[in-house]
Amino acid sequence: MLSIEEPAGETLATRSPALETSDIQATVLRPRPKPYCGEYVILRIGNAGQAREMLRRILPHVAPADEWWVPSLPGWLGIAFTFEGLKALGLPQASLDSFPIEFRQGMAARAETLNDFGANAPANWEHPFGTPDAHVALAVYAKSNEDLQKVLDLARKSHHDLQQISVVYRMQFGELPDGRNPFGFKDGLHNPHVEGSGPAGDGTAASTKPGEFVMGYPDERSETAVAPIPEELRRNGTFVAIRKFHMDVAAFRRYLRAQASSPEEEELIAAKMVGRWRSGAPLVLAPDRDDPALGSDGKRNNDFGYADDKKGLKCPFSAHIRRVNPRDALNDDVVAVNLHHFLRRGTNYGPPLPEGVLEDDGAERGGVFLLIGAHLHRQFEFIQSQWVTDGNFISHGTEQDPLIGNNDGDGVFTIPRTPVRRRLHGLPRFVTVRGGEYCFMPGLRALRWIANLGQ
Amino acid sequence: MATHTLTTPKQNQTVEDKIQHLRQLYADAPEFAQTALENTLKDLAVTASQPRSRMESAGRTGVRQGTVSELTVIAPLARGGAERLRALLQLRNGNFDDTDRVGTVHDMRFVFLDNDTKLLFATAYDGDWDVYIEDFVAKIPNEMDVLFSCWEGWPGIHNPKVKDFIANHQITAEGWYVAHPDLTVRDVQRVKRVGKAAEEFLDKIA
Repeated sequence: MLSIEEPAGETLATRSPALETSDIQATVLRPRPKPYCGEYVILRIGNAGQAREMLRRILPHVAPADEWWVPSLPGWLGIAFTFEGLKALGLPQASLDSFPIEFRQGMAARAETLNDFGANAPANWEHPFGTPDAHVALAVYAKSNEDLQKVLDLARKSHHDLQQISVVYRMQFGELPDGRNPFGFKDGLHNPHVEGSGPAGDGTAASTKPGEFVMGYPDERSETAVAPIPEELRRNGTFVAIRKFHMDVAAFRRYLRAQASSPEEEELIAAKMVGRWRSGAPLVLAPDRDDPALGSDGKRNNDFGYADDKKGLKCPFSAHIRRVNPRDALNDDVVAVNLHHFLRRGTNYGPPLPEGVLEDDGAERGGVFLLIGAHLHRQFEFIQSQWVTDGNFISHGTEQDPLIGNNDGDGVFTIPRTPVRRRLHGLPRFVTVRGGEYCFMPGLRALRWIANLGQ
Repeated sequence: MATHTLTTPKQNQTVEDKIQHLRQLYADAPEFAQTALENTLKDLAVTASQPRSRMESAGRTGVRQGTVSELTVIAPLARGGAERLRALLQLRNGNFDDTDRVGTVHDMRFVFLDNDTKLLFATAYDGDWDVYIEDFVAKIPNEMDVLFSCWEGWPGIHNPKVKDFIANHQITAEGWYVAHPDLTVRDVQRVKRVGKAAEEFLDKIA
């Protein structure tokens, strides 16, 4: 049952109940381990009974958030289901019908809302993303390959003798040297802090109400989820938008080379596009040159807002981090940014492109992101459609995110500057969507409820 | 007609059918209307074959051209609703400048109909309104409720049924002209600013 902490001086009325971290999956609340490696696996269910048997076997191994620091396994396992997967598991029709429309339609069918067209169109996605065959998604993390294999082995044993459960996708992921992303940037520096989830990591950002990220608790609208039904299914569950991205590092390097007249200028342009220098130092705090000490200081590299940068002279309005997380930049607008956050769990995959190489080597590399929130439509879908693939919210017309927008050789990126702004043209598509799915990531009791269906 | 090489024969046929149908309908209209039809038909036929912008659906109801959408609602006024709204409008004295804050509203109008028993509310705006409804509830709930409570059955902006109320009373426009379907309100502001700076610059260097 709920444990409600009441430190001296506070009342129930002023705080949300503490989160049931023993029931919420670790993947929702915890960052990836350091170092990290792992696998994503997608399963197809051909028989509801066998699927539930698999679930019964795998249940004891699903990592709860309160065991993050001292896991019972040599790694962590998370499990989630697409709508097709929940159907294949034999969920009652009333439950299925109670899920929000965007989840029922699936990410591929929402391409028009998400502006997933051209190279990002679902028709170009890797199989089985976007097809009715993607049912169960497993995320397995570990600190070493040896540990990873032990956990994978347990996962495999949960279904290897069940003929109607098949592996339809597998991919490995792992940290790059230096803990940087394929573009050479320190990544995964910021996430909203979930009230009640444990000690706050960074800076001054206020906690976000837990119901934004986990069902069963009040959200930023002071509402608690009433769907999906029944309560046992939704409590401590949430939605995950899985997005697999390919990163064209060579194209990124070539573009910087073409736009700059020196290596220093290349670094500045790259930082202007991201909103941080490669070390992680935010432009707002280090507008002219990188500050690696700041970049690696977890207490300082997120302690900023845009109140002192109203003209975007330090960090462009169109920079990636300013778009996906506007912080206080939209305070004068009729937008409630606290309704539009998601938790971002990202892992990189593929080998690094060696330093100085400007031609693509054909290797698959990039990042897989689990974008977590209890309201797909006003969280992931809102950010993607309003802040990433459009520029009107910052008076930039149809200009898109320089990194992940739909730039197809005709992209534009505006860098505010005095006396005259600089505008880059001809941005290619640096990041391409290789596939994605909307998943429901249930709490541990809910997993048991699903496993016990039909009994 | 034979010189319209831009249209395919099939398209021409459809336009011809529509023109015939129009002529039949106008046969009952006053004579000046029939004359007007004959005088404008040639231009109309050209227009029919190559519109600059097309109307698309704006979501549940309403239409959209380019980046601009229209919303037209006619709903009965509540008891006392007409007096309340009229008093509010008179207090404002025509000043709706605070709507600038929303940033996406091109225009909106309040029109009393049928002896103050109904209100027509019409607006042209950028993007999708229902994407931002939760933001409106969070940031401007009072502004919305003080106005729209004039309507009979308005459930209050905090009620999730408010989207249904609007959709149920919304009527899709069947004809709509938009001068600049490719310009949002913010685009216009930016273009004005840049245009002004350009004019000043030209003045200086002339």
